[in-house]
Amino acid sequence: METLDHLRSRITSIDSMPTIPVILRPLLHCLDQPVEQIDITRIVELVSYDKSIAAQCVRMANSALFGRNKPVESVRTAVMNLGMWRVRDLLFSNSLTNVIPVNRWVVDAAVFWRHSLGVALVCRKFAEILGYPDTEKAYLAGLLHDIGILVNSMVVPEEFRVTFEKATREQIPLNEAELATLGFTHCDSGRVLAEAWKITPDLIEAIELHHDIGDSQRGGPLVAIVHLSDLLCRLRDLGYGYYEPRQIDFENEPGWLYLVMQFPNLADLDLARFTFTLDEYATEVEELVSTVFAH
Amino acid sequence: MIANELIQVEALNDPVWIRIRDLIYQVSGIYQAENKFYLLVSRCNVRMKAVGSRTPREYLDFLMARPNRDAEMRNLLNEITIGETCLFRSMPQIEALRKVVIPSLMEVKRKLSFTKLRFWSAGCSTGEESYTLAMLMMEETQTRLKGWTFEIMATDLNERSVAKAHEGIYNDYAVRNVPPEYMKKYFTPAGSNFRVADSVRPFVTFNRLNMLDDSKMLFMRGIDVIFCCNVLIYFDGRSKNRTVNHFYNALLTNGYFFLGQSESLYGITEKFHLVHFPGATAYWKPSEPVAKAGGL
Repeated sequence: METLDHLRSRITSIDSMPTIPVILRPLLHCLDQPVEQIDITRIVELVSYDKSIAAQCVRMANSALFGRNKPVESVRTAVMNLGMWRVRDLLFSNSLTNVIPVNRWVVDAAVFWRHSLGVALVCRKFAEILGYPDTEKAYLAGLLHDIGILVNSMVVPEEFRVTFEKATREQIPLNEAELATLGFTHCDSGRVLAEAWKITPDLIEAIELHHDIGDSQRGGPLVAIVHLSDLLCRLRDLGYGYYEPRQIDFENEPGWLYLVMQFPNLADLDLARFTFTLDEYATEVEELVSTVFAH
Repeated sequence: MIANELIQVEALNDPVWIRIRDLIYQVSGIYQAENKFYLLVSRCNVRMKAVGSRTPREYLDFLMARPNRDAEMRNLLNEITIGETCLFRSMPQIEALRKVVIPSLMEVKRKLSFTKLRFWSAGCSTGEESYTLAMLMMEETQTRLKGWTFEIMATDLNERSVAKAHEGIYNDYAVRNVPPEYMKKYFTPAGSNFRVADSVRPFVTFNRLNMLDDSKMLFMRGIDVIFCCNVLIYFDGRSKNRTVNHFYNALLTNGYFFLGQSESLYGITEKFHLVHFPGATAYWKPSEPVAKAGGL
């Protein structure tokens, strides 16, 4: 079994360790403001840096979901029509998709982003319902929770391929297959990458603990939000494309019980209805993913 | 598809549709996701024409106005659930049954040396769901449930539906989702239609039953799984409550209660636990009724 230190030195000594996308830092900084203070001009500037992203924004603004009578041609109009969130989704997906070369993906890149974006959207919605103060942080935590999969694809590609096949074949959660074959999980390697990228400690904890919340409340509500959103997405066709035969009683999950203590209004949530609304996200996520991957 | 998308854009732009959706949910427990709004809009359009409403706003007012409220909601719900009945209707529910529910029930029952499973298709209409269950279970008893027995009790209020269910003859639209290997094994051609094979029939009993008849409902006991899809939506709050209570009592501990694919029991009872499976939800009867997490 690998210790975290051993894993850290093994991963960081490898040249192929994914590096943080250049666009990500200014974008994170820019978006680290209250929504009303986000600088649209700066976002348009960031979008325009990358011709392919700019083209995607325009294409998406003209798609059936957003299309208006008058075709959208300028990046600025596209950004305004799509809204900050969708533009940010596009930017993140693009910048993080390019973190590893096309031929190195073990999990299909589109499937990976479908899940990450799905979890991000559910995390944000969940945070809103709870009254968790930083909904954008919840969104980011959801988006980044599985970055360990990028590490595994780059650092131990063959072993990880076997692991993913095992998870798919045996219909078991990926972290269980990883423990059995690699001795560590994408949560461990995700933590190492997040540390190297100097991501904030609460996000690092959400990445590290999202599968293993039972014996630890280290990360507080953020970990529980990501954990439950990840579970919900995997149950509502926003997972990694394979069937996980399981029954989840959310209201008796440790993460749920913990959140109910922190946010008593959660006990009144109509969970069935909340689950049905997740199918709405699936459409939104599909639209975004097909825009990003329609090269 | 393009037409659907156009309807969707238009629908999303009008907040009245959200209010209509919420009203339907509040009354019936059926949720119309926004990505399926084109369906809601097209079904409302049919009713709008029928009652002469020119705008969705006008139709909402009509739906909420006292003299026609209940009747029109019933008509709209009929329109919404129309054409939903077919064999092998909800694959996520079928998968959940095969891959999670049956293994879980097997484990519990084996410990008690019971080797029989009982299903109740409540509000079985013309029998599509009941025969689907029988076919699935016939497959199971040839494999991992070897030596087990099962029965499907199917009930409906409507005598004509029960008679039709008994006939077990379906057109090609009703069997469109049936996997080819099941078609071959469990159906025989009947003109341009398909007749459920004789081998399936002994496992299913069809009876007329009014779910609001307490004296009859009391006899339904010892069930492992109940399916009651898109039936409770027509009941008012009190009747719904009473019926669901009967279902609870009819189920064995650890038994499961399936509603329609996007139907919920919210606000009716907290005795059951809502459980999630991939792509499907159901209500599970715990060994002791447990207070909701918030009550702890």
